Amino acid sequence: MTKKIILLTSVIFLSSCAGTSIQDLGGKFLDLINPSDPAVEVEDLSDFALILDGESGGFTSEELADSDVDSSEQSRTQTEIAVETLEDAGVSFVLYFSYDDTEIDEEATQVIIDHANFMRNNPGISLKLEGHADERGTREYNLALGENRALSVKEVLGLYGLENRVEVVSFGEEQPIAFTHDEDSWQKNRRVEFIYQ
Amino acid sequence: MKILKTLALLLTLVSTIAYALLEVTIIKSEENAFPIVIAPFEVIGDAEQGAQIADIIRDNLNRSGQFNALSSKGVITNKIDFSYWKARKKDAIVFGKIEKVSSKVFNVYIYVYDIYTKKRLYGKKIAVHNSGIRRISHYLSDKIYNVLLGQKGSFDTRLTYVTVTNDENMDRIYQLEIADADGHNAQIVVKSSYPILSPAWSPDQKKIAYVSFKNGRAEVFIKYPFMRVKSIKLPRFDGIASAPSWHPNGQGLVLTISREGNKDLYFYNLESKKLIRLTKDVAIDTEANFSPDGKSIAFTSNRSGQVQIYIKDLTNGKIKRATFEGSYNAKPVFSPDGKSLALVHRVGKDYRVALLDIKTRDLTVLTQNKLDESPYFSPNGGMIIFATNRDNKGVLSVISLHNNQIVELAQKGAEVREPNWSNYSK
Repeated sequence: MTKKIILLTSVIFLSSCAGTSIQDLGGKFLDLINPSDPAVEVEDLSDFALILDGESGGFTSEELADSDVDSSEQSRTQTEIAVETLEDAGVSFVLYFSYDDTEIDEEATQVIIDHANFMRNNPGISLKLEGHADERGTREYNLALGENRALSVKEVLGLYGLENRVEVVSFGEEQPIAFTHDEDSWQKNRRVEFIYQ
Repeated sequence: MKILKTLALLLTLVSTIAYALLEVTIIKSEENAFPIVIAPFEVIGDAEQGAQIADIIRDNLNRSGQFNALSSKGVITNKIDFSYWKARKKDAIVFGKIEKVSSKVFNVYIYVYDIYTKKRLYGKKIAVHNSGIRRISHYLSDKIYNVLLGQKGSFDTRLTYVTVTNDENMDRIYQLEIADADGHNAQIVVKSSYPILSPAWSPDQKKIAYVSFKNGRAEVFIKYPFMRVKSIKLPRFDGIASAPSWHPNGQGLVLTISREGNKDLYFYNLESKKLIRLTKDVAIDTEANFSPDGKSIAFTSNRSGQVQIYIKDLTNGKIKRATFEGSYNAKPVFSPDGKSLALVHRVGKDYRVALLDIKTRDLTVLTQNKLDESPYFSPNGGMIIFATNRDNKGVLSVISLHNNQIVELAQKGAEVREPNWSNYSK
C-alpha cells in the first residue's frame, strides 16, 4: 500500500512541473491510477521482483563461471528471465495506433503502467521503444511519426520517473511486420514495440 | 482540381527492354510527340560497338515523351530523300557514321536535318574511347533534344535509388545503387542489412547523401560513389537525423534532426561543420528541399494539425503555407525553374504525385496510383521520377510532363524505391 502512495505522489509531482503536453497526459493518467481501480494494484508487481530474485539466485556455478568471461551475457539472460515473467503475466509488448496518430488510449495506458511497474521492480533493466508506421504517406514523415509514437509512450513512463532508462528509436515504415497493402496490415504496422535490454 | 489525362487516355504500346539490372518499360504516348527518324549509323571498318549509338539515342528521345523516334530501314548517308520523309510526316532526321581510328578509339559523326527546310541543324565529329560509347550517346541525345526543342535534355545524367531483396535466409538486403538516366550501367554503392532511404546526389554529382539505420537508428551519411574514401557521418542528437537535401551550392545540407523529441530543420555546413536551426516548432518539420536559388526551403509539417507543405523564405525568415487542397500533402521538391513543387498528395485513400504551381496554388494530380512516394524532377524539369507499386512490387516510374507518357524501371525479384536524379554532368 505504501508503494502505491509513492507512485501516486510522483505522478502528481511530475505532471505539475512538466510542460503542457505532459499535464494533458497526466490528467488522463491520474484517473487511471486512481487507487480504487483494481487494475493498478501495486501489490501485483512486487511479485515480479520476487520471481526475479529467486531465479537470479538459482544460477549454477558453471553459469557463474561463464559470467566472469562475459558478464553482459549473464545480465542479458537475467533481463530475459525477468521479461519472460512479464510475458507470462499476459502484458502486451506492442501498442497499436490509429492512422497518422500518436494518441495513447486508456487500454494502451494500462499496458504502459504494467511496463512501468515492471521497470520499477527491475531497476537494472532498460527499455528501447521502437516506433513504426504503416506504408501510407511519405517515408521521412513516417520516420518522424514513428518517433513521436515512441515518444508518447516514453512520456507516460516519464511520469514514473523512468525517462532516463528509456531509449526511443524510430524505423518509420521501413520495418513492417505485415506486408499486404490493406488496412489489415496497416493496423499491425502502426505500432510501438517494447524491447528490454 | 484538374486531373490530367492519364493511362486510360494514352495510346498504349508497351515494350520492355531488359538491360543490365533495371528493366525499362515504356507505356508510350504519341500524343504531341515530335515525329523524327534516327537512322542506324553507318559503321566503317571494325567498329560494331558503335552501331548501338543510334539505338541509345532513339530510346532516350522516346523515353522523354517529347519524341516519336523511329528507325529507317537502312543507313542514311549525305543524300537525303527529303520528299520521301516529308510524305511520311517526319519533321527531322538524324544520321551518322562511326569509324575506327585505333584499337579502342572511334570517330563519331552525327548530323541533324530539318525535313521541311532541308537545313542542317547540327553536325559534329567526336573522337570517343570504346568505354565511352553510352556516355557519348547520352551527350548527343542532349544535343539533339536541344537543337530540335530549344530546351536542355536530361539524358547525360544519373539516377540513384534503393533496392530491397530477400537473401536465401529471407533476410532483407538493402542496396544503394546508381545508374545512367536510362537505367543502364546500374552499380551498387552501399549494401546493408539495414534500411537505406532518402539518397540525394550532391549538385556536383560526386557525393550522395543518404540515411542508414546501420547503427540502429536513422543517421545521415555522405558517400563518394566514385572514390575509395570512407563515408562521412553527419551529426545527430538524441533522436532521428534524416531527410538530407543539398544546398544548390553544395556547401551544406538541410537535415531533419530530432532534439529532445522535437523534429526541426537544420542547415549543416560541411566546411565549418556548424548547424543552423531553420525551424522551431513542436510539430513535425521534415522533408525539406532547397529552391534552385537557395533562398528558400519547402518542407512538410503537421503544425496545422494536418500534414501540409510550407515554404520558408530564408532571406526574411517568413514561413508560408503552400498547399491548401486536401488533407495530406508531403515531400515537396522544387522544379528546376523554382516555380512548381512536385509532392505527394492524398486523394481519398490513395497517395499520388501532384504538381503545385506555387504562385497560383493550382494543384494537378499526375497519376492514378495508390502508393506513390518520393517524387523528383529530371534536371531539365521535363520529367518527374517517383516510386510506386505495380502488381504489389516497388518500381520507379518516370512521367513526362509534356504528355504524361510513363516509363517504368523495375528490377527482377527486387523492390526499387527512393529515386533521386542527378544534376547535369560537368
